[in-house]
Amino acid sequence: MSMIEFKQTSKAFGDLTVIDKVDLSINAGEVVVLIGPSGSGKSTLLRCINGLESITGGDLIMDGISVTGNAKQLQKIRQEAGMVFQQFNLFPQMTALENVAFGLEKVRGESKEKSKEVALGLLTKVGLKDKANHSPSELSGGQQQRVAIARALAINPKVMLFDEPTSALDPELKQEVLTVMNDLAKEGMTMIVVTHEISFAKQVGTRLIFMEHGKITVDGDPNIIIDTPPNDRLKEFLKHV
Amino acid sequence: MEIDWSVVIEFMPELLDGAKITLYITSLGLLGGIIIGVIAGLMRAYGGPIINTIALIFIELVRGTPIVVQVMFLYFALPVIANIRIDPMSAAILAIIVNAGAYIAEIVRGSLISISKGLAEAGLALGLPYWKVLLYIISPLAFRRLIPPLGNQCIVSLKDTSLFIVIGVGELTRTGQEIMAANFRAVEIWTSVAILYLLMTGSITLILRTIEKRMKVL
Repeated sequence: MSMIEFKQTSKAFGDLTVIDKVDLSINAGEVVVLIGPSGSGKSTLLRCINGLESITGGDLIMDGISVTGNAKQLQKIRQEAGMVFQQFNLFPQMTALENVAFGLEKVRGESKEKSKEVALGLLTKVGLKDKANHSPSELSGGQQQRVAIARALAINPKVMLFDEPTSALDPELKQEVLTVMNDLAKEGMTMIVVTHEISFAKQVGTRLIFMEHGKITVDGDPNIIIDTPPNDRLKEFLKHV
Repeated sequence: MEIDWSVVIEFMPELLDGAKITLYITSLGLLGGIIIGVIAGLMRAYGGPIINTIALIFIELVRGTPIVVQVMFLYFALPVIANIRIDPMSAAILAIIVNAGAYIAEIVRGSLISISKGLAEAGLALGLPYWKVLLYIISPLAFRRLIPPLGNQCIVSLKDTSLFIVIGVGELTRTGQEIMAANFRAVEIWTSVAILYLLMTGSITLILRTIEKRMKVL
């Protein structure tokens, strides 16, 4: 059974259709890389999966639950789908450790001590154990994003959603974030990544999806697609990234 | 008449009693005002169209009319139309509650909506219900931004109590007025009254500055 299932899914903002009757099935263990020009709907597609955008047509099933369900069901979906944002969105009033422990404590209901212990383990995993007691404003962009990944991992999700995780970072800092993501993929985490990092798609992705005007126009093996783009629009797009 | 500062000592106990009443009205009024303000502010920031409109009507009614008119209405008009009779002190406190409540509502709303939407999304994405996102993530941040304008409102409300002279509440200004009517010592009395107000507003400023320093305002 697939982990995420788009069934004729549409999303419109007023008259503007952003996702246009998309059918897509994603299985556990896949590392799907979503690319496309801006405004093509790739971020919106991602945000529909955990209900940050509500769909306006069709259905979308995440881990057996429809995103059109009630608030409780939506929370359940979100607890199985960790999300990493372009702007990190770390909670500024908390330290790195508290950011990571937050979900464990408030979502999973773990004790304070247990949460901190697990959080410290996750910070170690992303290479930031020594920054545990720093506040987000004291960290570089790359470090903040790694904390954000640890925070999303803390609730032990089945899927990780990445919304342009490296777009706000300079090239050097990008690499440290991509390395963490690479490690995560190697562990078998199901990942959906909206990105412009074609090298990441090639090296880590198991599947590449190209979107245009709210539709999926190319879907397949990243290495084949990138080396021999099946249509001119993608060929043109790849030249510029 | 010569200016004679020694009379200050004579009428100071009376003035201090007036100042106590001013502080009493202000603190109860602000306490209620903050409760009303937080509720109405939340309604404005997160309520649906109907809830939002109810809060907006309340705010506009209060902001659009002078506080003197409001307290006169509470004290003189309410008994006539609704047969509710309240004493001057209650009318004064109620007027501050309603008035400060409306202004604080907008302060609360402004602080809440000033917090980046991405932070709320990060909380929601973890699978928290919205009220918990509000409680654990948005409110602590909004609270820090709330303090400077809230302090402003506290000072305004304290000074607004002087307007309750119109319904005969024995607060500081009224007390000054009464003493002056008896001895005509205008310079001595109004200087003392002004200094007492300054001491009270100054204390509010100091308290707020301490709170602000303790909670690094983001």
